[in-house]
Amino acid sequence: MDHKIGVYIDTGYGIGEALDIEALCTVATGEFSVPVCRAESYWNEPDKLAIIRNDIAGEGLTAVLIAGPSPRVHQDAFKFDGTIVERANLREHVVWCQPPNHEDTQMLAEDYIRMWIVKTSKYEDRPPFMEETSKDILVIGGGMTGMTAALEAAAAGYQVYLVEKEPQLGGWANKYAKVFTGKPPYTELTDSPVQEKIAAVNKSDKIKVFAGHRVFRISGAPGMFDVIVRADGPWIEKLDTAQNEWLAAKKAREAAGGAAGEKKEAEGEPTEPEVPDDPSEFAHEVVRVGSVVLAAGWRPEEPQNAEHLGYGTLPDVITNVQLEELAAKGKITRPSDGKEVSSIAFIECMGPEVEHPLLYGSNVSSLVALKQAQYLRKSNPDGKAFVFYNNMRTPGQYEVFYQAMQDDPGVFLSKGIPTGVASAASGLAVDVKDTLLGEQLRVNVDLVVLSTGMVPVTKDAAVLNLKYRQGPFLPENPYGFNDSHFICFPYETQRTGIYTAGCVRQPMDFQSCETDATGAALKAIQCMELVAQGKAVHPRAGDESFPEIFVTRCTQCKRCTEECPFGAYDEQPNGTPMPNPTRCRRCAICMGSCPERIISFRDHSVDMIGSMVKAMSVPDEYAEKPRVVVFICENDAYPVLDMAGMHRLQYSAFVRFIPLRCLGNINMVWIADALSKGIDGIMLIGCKYGDDYQCHFVKGSELAEYRMGKISETLQRLVLESDRINVQQLAIDEYYKLPGIINDFIELLSGFDPNPYKGF
Amino acid sequence: MAKEFVAEPDLQFTRDVIAAGGSDVKKCYQCATCSVACPISPDNSPYPRKEMIWAQWGLKDRLVNDPDIWLCHHCNDCSTQCPRGANPGDLMKAVRKMVIEENSWPSFLGGLVGQPSLMVLTLGIPVAVVLFLVYINGGFRAPQPLNYGEFINYLYIQGVYTFALVFAVVSMVLSLKKYWANLEANCPINVGAVRKPFVPSLIEAFKEILPHDKFKECEANNIRYASHLMVFWGMIGLFVTTAIVAFNIDILHIAPPSRGGPGTVPIKILGNVSAIAFVLGLGIMIVRRITQPDQAGNSSYFDWLFLFVIFGTGATGLLTELVRWAGSAPGAYFLYAVHLMFVLALLLYLPFSKFAHIGYRTLAIAWGKSAGRDVTLPVVPNYAPVPAQEGGAEETPQA
Ligand code: SF4
Ligand code: SF4
Ligand code: SF4
Ligand code: SF4
Repeated sequence: MDHKIGVYIDTGYGIGEALDIEALCTVATGEFSVPVCRAESYWNEPDKLAIIRNDIAGEGLTAVLIAGPSPRVHQDAFKFDGTIVERANLREHVVWCQPPNHEDTQMLAEDYIRMWIVKTSKYEDRPPFMEETSKDILVIGGGMTGMTAALEAAAAGYQVYLVEKEPQLGGWANKYAKVFTGKPPYTELTDSPVQEKIAAVNKSDKIKVFAGHRVFRISGAPGMFDVIVRADGPWIEKLDTAQNEWLAAKKAREAAGGAAGEKKEAEGEPTEPEVPDDPSEFAHEVVRVGSVVLAAGWRPEEPQNAEHLGYGTLPDVITNVQLEELAAKGKITRPSDGKEVSSIAFIECMGPEVEHPLLYGSNVSSLVALKQAQYLRKSNPDGKAFVFYNNMRTPGQYEVFYQAMQDDPGVFLSKGIPTGVASAASGLAVDVKDTLLGEQLRVNVDLVVLSTGMVPVTKDAAVLNLKYRQGPFLPENPYGFNDSHFICFPYETQRTGIYTAGCVRQPMDFQSCETDATGAALKAIQCMELVAQGKAVHPRAGDESFPEIFVTRCTQCKRCTEECPFGAYDEQPNGTPMPNPTRCRRCAICMGSCPERIISFRDHSVDMIGSMVKAMSVPDEYAEKPRVVVFICENDAYPVLDMAGMHRLQYSAFVRFIPLRCLGNINMVWIADALSKGIDGIMLIGCKYGDDYQCHFVKGSELAEYRMGKISETLQRLVLESDRINVQQLAIDEYYKLPGIINDFIELLSGFDPNPYKGF
Repeated sequence: MAKEFVAEPDLQFTRDVIAAGGSDVKKCYQCATCSVACPISPDNSPYPRKEMIWAQWGLKDRLVNDPDIWLCHHCNDCSTQCPRGANPGDLMKAVRKMVIEENSWPSFLGGLVGQPSLMVLTLGIPVAVVLFLVYINGGFRAPQPLNYGEFINYLYIQGVYTFALVFAVVSMVLSLKKYWANLEANCPINVGAVRKPFVPSLIEAFKEILPHDKFKECEANNIRYASHLMVFWGMIGLFVTTAIVAFNIDILHIAPPSRGGPGTVPIKILGNVSAIAFVLGLGIMIVRRITQPDQAGNSSYFDWLFLFVIFGTGATGLLTELVRWAGSAPGAYFLYAVHLMFVLALLLYLPFSKFAHIGYRTLAIAWGKSAGRDVTLPVVPNYAPVPAQEGGAEETPQA
């Protein structure tokens, strides 16, 4: 599409002193014949913005290119309705990291002007994706978290459907004897507030409760989820079994398929698990909602490796969940003989032999031990509560509770590893080693209480039963938590519009559950509102672009369907991908995966980036000025570059940075284009991947690394060294590493001959 | 090798420790800062961290048989460094009080002296005895010229005070014997099998105590060292003075210095210098306890009672002399009577009050010497430059 572009070069911030601005204008007006090119300082100031507005009106500009400070600043100033705005970074990426008035610095700036004019000229005109959407919310789970989420959403004016599998609301909170108050002085316990919550839910006319029901199926997309709700029954086990079998088979296939990202031929692969029942055959209700809060909670982890502690053989060795039930009945009595208990050993860590004696142990188990110690001490002034822990974790105000319990003369705390529990004359003898007393010791108690972990229920079942091409489950991390860039985006899952809250997301206490529920409800509302406006949710919140497939050239290879981290594509009956734009996060990973290069956004496409590469001027081999293209992720690597600039870190002027939405956008054709243009080296800088990944789109940087592993063919064909391609991971705070990484690569390339394709 | 033992926490003991002044003991989370901060704790099984957890766990048997509590000089270096405000210095002090009570003979007196509720009785006994002596001497009179022997017959005084002294000594000896036997049998600290004999150990202990060598090492509280040294030597001086005077009166039958007997000047100098050091040292202690409780530690009834009695003894002694100089005979007689009350209290309660620490501490230090317990290794700073080797011939080649 042809654009009338105005180029505005900012001469502030030292740009005017360090560069030949006139020469830059000549590039714009000469090479690209842009109708307007102006140089002034600080274009973000109101009088300067007025000049731009004048030009837009007077010259009929359709696009504006600001060449100045990083696009990460003054975003609000540079907004002109109906006009495209692009930003070339001459400040952090040029004058702040290069020597002023140097030939190479000038060449760098001129290249950026070229590349960004080309980029701007490639914008397409596409309206945002808008459809009729629902603004109701589905909450799954009627425990403290679910009820809180429902109440919060209702209070904000949204209709809520609350599905609870038990016949009554309340969940675990019904079974607790006492809970923490969450209020000063933080040293006391209180009765569970669950009844008030239940009453509030029942009173609300904005909440429709489906007690004793399950979600049979969720299909659709944010803003238009169709949820089938069905009364609980034996069907759920059949469904879960079928789905778990499907998942196991899928995992086995992937494991056999080798490295991550490798896609097996899709033939013979079930696109979705066999669903045992058809909704037309049973009573059900269908509700349409805009987003979902999953607050399905947890189940106790069965103590593992606890045989030496008498679990399962000695009746007075119980779990903390069982103790809670005993305490809820009144006095704590021994299961074996009903005698009132006067001493308890709480065991937090079962033993050192296994790496994770309690895989799902958490700070909650520390808190529960302290809480239950108080049950005993309050009911028996001479009672003794021993707590043996490996880590005593009492975050936040719980430290105050911990201190209060520590101060209690009848509470005995020690780090320690229990080595055995045996029955003794009047009860149980617990042997503990590595205690704070510096020795092995034995205590005689009436009852031994073992900690349990909190397993998210999504570890056992899909719960949501999604009708998605990628399967009914929420993608999970190796521990069964539904993780999507956990460190930056709590509540997010890898299914847009579905937000986890409470213990299904992470073991947590009552207060945290309530806070969590509120956060998730807010995210769910945000999602519905953005979707209604045709905008993306985080991390590209507000983005109005969306992927479009030029379907006539689609080969039905299914790569996009499989590689989309968010399961946005379903499948048409003919095998072509069926986009669900409201599920899409606009990461453009599918754009990188499509071998036909037919997936594009209005402001981001294979052609656009390829053209930017081609717009660079590449000096001939005798100039001794090598050229390197660096593709960077705009989420973390781009800020890293800005920070390096702010710190005035200097590095080679031979590199040209091209930001991508995610390194997963990387398309082989760009590499081939660059190499055949005579570019000497290509570098990719993305986020960390692996178990502690930091990729905003979960697996983009991993996919990029994987795809680059396959580039060797291309290089062989061109007879080029494979080290010319380099993939790096940088965390957002590692700006100080940048010059080293860049300069080392330039150094490495100096060992090779110049790319022989220069000048072709 | 760690040996297993059955921990049977004695809740009451923990409560008692808390009541005796270790009120923050349960706050300890065993970080060991205190043992590092303590300038005189040994490297092997250092105190006071282990004492903290023993007290938390109500392990009475261990604490009352732990000689380490006496190696602590309560400088509070540890308490000022404790990140949890658990005041380990105060715990050590509280346990010392309990050890005195635990071992005292006759045992009922142990409990009596430390009981705030029994204060009237504790103070009333010496007051009553002295009032009784005054009464049988014909009531309160002020014979001129000043003659204390006429005010209260020296014989009575000798009778009562000799009895008190003998009682104190016997009781102290019996208490300490019991304590020593407990240490030998039940000391919870692992020490080597090789032990030094008692007498040389005791001599070593004296060598350390007389110049206050250990006390000097305390950093946060150097003034305590100075004040205790003054009180310590002041008291020895006063004791010697009293002994000489008594010897003069009883054996040589010559007049006491107050009535210009022979050798008056040197005796008076010794007596007055000692008394001034004694009272001044105590004055410093009292003022610091009041004005700087964070450094001096929490002061319990047990502390105050002892300070009151011992300060009262010194102060009334000095005042008696001053008032006599000023020429007020009734005033001098009155103060003399009060002085006698304090001295009696001091003697009678020696084995049961904080005063008993002179015996227990000496014995525990001797025990420590005998067990090789309190050898503090010289601290070698790890940044100390390695001394250059002569000639450089042995320099190791650089890889
Ligand atoms: S842009 Fe990302 S989220 Fe959207 S469909 Fe493509 S891969 Fe999926
Ligand atoms: S990756 Fe491209 S060619 Fe393959 S199915 Fe998707 S759109 Fe079609
Ligand atoms: S410094 Fe305080 S908390 Fe740490 S071990 Fe000593 S007494 Fe306990
Ligand atoms: S009070 Fe002083 S001597 Fe006693 S343990 Fe603490 S630091 Fe050591």
